[in-house]
Amino acid sequence: MISQATSSPVPNLFLPSPFQVTGVRRETSDTITLRLRPLDGEVFSFQPGQFNMLYLFGIGEVPISISGVHPRTHDLEHTVRAVGYVTRALARLRRGDVVGVRGPFGHGWPLEEVRGHSILILAGGIGLAPLRPALQYLLAHRPNYEQIVLLYGARTPADLLYQPELERWRGRLDLQVFVTVDRGDELWRGHIGVVTTLLPLVERFLDMRRAVVLMCGPEVMLRVAVRELEDRGVPAEQIFLSLERNMKCAVGFCGHCQFGPAFICRDGPVFPLPRVRSLLEIREL
Amino acid sequence: MSKAEILEALRQHPFTHDMDEAWKESLAEIARLQTYVPDTLLLREGRAADAFFLIVDGLVAIEMFVPERGSLRLQTASAGEIVGWSWALPPYRWEFDARALVETTAVVLDAAQLRARMSQDCALAAWILSRLLTVVAGRLKATRLQLLDLYAPPPERRPA
Repeated sequence: MISQATSSPVPNLFLPSPFQVTGVRRETSDTITLRLRPLDGEVFSFQPGQFNMLYLFGIGEVPISISGVHPRTHDLEHTVRAVGYVTRALARLRRGDVVGVRGPFGHGWPLEEVRGHSILILAGGIGLAPLRPALQYLLAHRPNYEQIVLLYGARTPADLLYQPELERWRGRLDLQVFVTVDRGDELWRGHIGVVTTLLPLVERFLDMRRAVVLMCGPEVMLRVAVRELEDRGVPAEQIFLSLERNMKCAVGFCGHCQFGPAFICRDGPVFPLPRVRSLLEIREL
Repeated sequence: MSKAEILEALRQHPFTHDMDEAWKESLAEIARLQTYVPDTLLLREGRAADAFFLIVDGLVAIEMFVPERGSLRLQTASAGEIVGWSWALPPYRWEFDARALVETTAVVLDAAQLRARMSQDCALAAWILSRLLTVVAGRLKATRLQLLDLYAPPPERRPA
C-alpha cells in the first residue's frame, strides 16, 4: 500500500471528491500526466495497479490508472492519453482546475505476496502507467526482491513515457531496463522490434522459472507475451495481467466492463493468468 | 584470436550452444571473432551474402536505404541472436543492410565454406537450417506484430 498526502474516505462510492490539479506534465504528443491533490487534505492510500474514476463536471467520467505519486509533493499522478471526448478534455486541464475523483478501485499488483521473487515487468505503450507505481514500490522495498527487470515497448522514441525517469531507472545498478520501439528514427540507437523480442536477452541472466511477471499493454501483446513467457518456463500462476475494458460504475454493478464471469473494475484490473486465460482466447469478449 | 576462443564463443551462443561438439569444432575452423565499431556495416544490400554472423555482444540494426529518407531501421538483433540468412538461399545476396549501433562482437562464419560443409554433411545442414527456420519464423512473427501498430491511438470513443 502506498500512502500519499490526500483525500478522505468516500462515504458514497458514486460521489466524487474534488481534487485540484497541481501540475500537468506533457509526456508525448497525445499523453499528459496530471498531478492531483485532494481539496480536503486527507491522505489518499492506494495499491499500485488500482485505478480512479476522474470526473470532469458537465463532460463525463473515465477510468484512469493511478500512475504514481509525485516524489516531492506526494500528489497523486494519473497519466492520460487524449483519445476521446473526456480524455481530451482532461488533457486540456491546467494547474488550479478541479476534477472529481472516485476511488481507488479494483485489485492491484500482488507486490507483497511475491516478495523473494525476481520481478519481470513487461509494459507496452500506455501500459507502463499502471506499472509505474509498482516499480516505484519495488524500488522503495528493493531488498525484498531478487532481480528486477523492466521491458518496455513503445511505438516510436517520441512515444516513450516518463523519459527523465526512464533515464534514471536505466542508470540504477539494481534494476535492468530494456526499451524497444516499433519504429526507430535517425537518433534512436536502441532496440527496434516488439517488446517480446527482448525476452531472449532477459532469459540469459534471469531464472524465468522463479520470475513473477507483471504486464500491461494491448491485449494482442499480452496474448503473445503469455505464450512466449510460458515457453520459457514461467509458471502461469506467476503471471499477472492488467486488463482494460470500458468501466463506468467501477464497483461491479453496471456490467459495462464484464469479462466473462468477472468484472474488470471490481475483480481486476489485475488478474492472475489462470483466472483469465480461457477468456483471453474468446474473441470479441 | 585463437580457435579455442571461437570454440568457446560457439559453446556460449544460443544458436550453437547445444550443437554437437564435433560440429562446433568444424565451424570454428571456418570462423573468426570480429569486433565492429559503431556505425560499421556488417553487410550491405545487393552484395554477395558471404558470411553468417552470431552476435556475441552489442546491437545490430537491420536497415534499408530509402532515397531522400536515409537508412531506415527495421529491427535490431542483440547479443545471442544471429544476423543474416541470405547466405543459405540462392542467389546468396543480401536483401538488407546490417549496421552495428554500438561496439559489436560477432562470430563470423565464412558462408561459402559453411555451405560446402553442409552439402557434405546432411545432418549438419538439417540442424543448421532447422535452427535458422526457428529464427526466421520468430522474426516474421515480430514483423507481423510490428505491422499491427498495436500502440496506435484507439478508434474514437464517443460519450454514451
